[in-house]
Amino acid sequence: MVEMAAEENILRIHWDEFTFGLIAFLLILGVVTKLWPRFTKALDERANQIEGGIERAKKAEAEAEEIRQQYRDKLTEAHRAAGQELEKAKEQGTVIIAEAREEAQVEARRIIDAAHAQIEADRQHAMAQLRTEIGALSTDLASRIVGESLGDSATQGRVIDRFLDDLDRGDRPAEVR
Amino acid sequence: MSADARTILAAAEEHCADPHIFNEAGCTFQAPSVSLFFPTPWFSYDLPYTSGFTKYTALLIVVVLLVSAFWYFTTRNAKVVPGRAQGVAEALVGFVRDQMVRTTMGKAGEKYMPLMVTLFTFILAMNVMGLIPGFQLPVTSNLAFPAVLALSIYVLWNYVGVREHGFAGHFKGKLVPSGAPKWILPLLIPIEFISNFVFRPLTHAIRLFATMFAGHMLLAVFAAGGFYLFNPDAGGIWGGISVGYSAIALIGFLVFTAFELFIMALQAYVFVLLASFYIGDAIEGAH
Repeated sequence: MVEMAAEENILRIHWDEFTFGLIAFLLILGVVTKLWPRFTKALDERANQIEGGIERAKKAEAEAEEIRQQYRDKLTEAHRAAGQELEKAKEQGTVIIAEAREEAQVEARRIIDAAHAQIEADRQHAMAQLRTEIGALSTDLASRIVGESLGDSATQGRVIDRFLDDLDRGDRPAEVR
Repeated sequence: MSADARTILAAAEEHCADPHIFNEAGCTFQAPSVSLFFPTPWFSYDLPYTSGFTKYTALLIVVVLLVSAFWYFTTRNAKVVPGRAQGVAEALVGFVRDQMVRTTMGKAGEKYMPLMVTLFTFILAMNVMGLIPGFQLPVTSNLAFPAVLALSIYVLWNYVGVREHGFAGHFKGKLVPSGAPKWILPLLIPIEFISNFVFRPLTHAIRLFATMFAGHMLLAVFAAGGFYLFNPDAGGIWGGISVGYSAIALIGFLVFTAFELFIMALQAYVFVLLASFYIGDAIEGAH
């Protein structure tokens, strides 16, 4: 073994191995260099896409925010409109109720007035009738009691009128009692 | 060596065709020799100073095919959304770029990325050949291969330096340290010359070669030792002891195999780191 080590110099560089090593190195370098653009292209494209994606996302976010704002505005508008409608309806309701009440009052007054007039007319009528009847009755009664006919129509009339006036005044004349 | 000694040795080797510890013939342990790194050529070119077509040449072809195929199949259809293979290639490229090229050359290194990636994968594959069963010989344990790579980097270093700073600028920048007083220059210039133009490429090549060489030797010693120590037929307690010794050697072999894998990656890393440092140094000019 010792004499072999003397022959075999571990620091030898055989030029065939050296040449093959160079060829091998250049071959691999060639393959890698040839493939390199594809590799970097994919990487660059990825970087671009990621950048573009971020930009797109930002844009979409802004758009979404805008739309959200629009919806919010619309919603507020709708709320406000609904409130107004409600207010208006309430007002209208109040007006309608007031009108109805007024109408009803007018109608009621009209009915009451009509009834008053009717009553008054009936009273007048009854009074007139009563007046003639009571006059005849009392004359008849008086002539029977007194026994004499109150022939004098003037006296008759005067007596009756007085009596009726008394009646009207409310204090009953002693004679009737 | 005398003729007698040679016959005795031959007789002993003949007798110890399968030597183990505690054997009858008293054969001693034959440590693996450096002949491990001199595989018998399969055929010779019949040219002076050639080794012939050896295991190294064959493994070199395997490495070229493997590395080329790796890059071809991982980047052939490089897509924006990477597949698994492309992911591995990208991780590798990212490692080379971030750990080696960017730290030494900065943005200027982008141009040299294919070179550095080639170097890293080529050296790593050549190193790992030492662990693959059936191959088990790191290609870089033959100085010719690290030397060709180191020399390529050396040539590129000079080329880039001359291109960036002109012939005089490059050599002046590398030979004359800035700020040194005039009277010491006759001493400094030879030192700088030897350091930058002679030892630097030599150490660049030998560092890789020597670690691979020594690592492989170490594994061979553990393997041969384990084999030598394994003698369960030794008889009685000796058989048990030999198996115990052998187990220790096996564990050592496994641990050092894992360690060797780490060293292989580390040396590829160091080689590429230094290469990009040298190129960056050439771009930068005077130091």
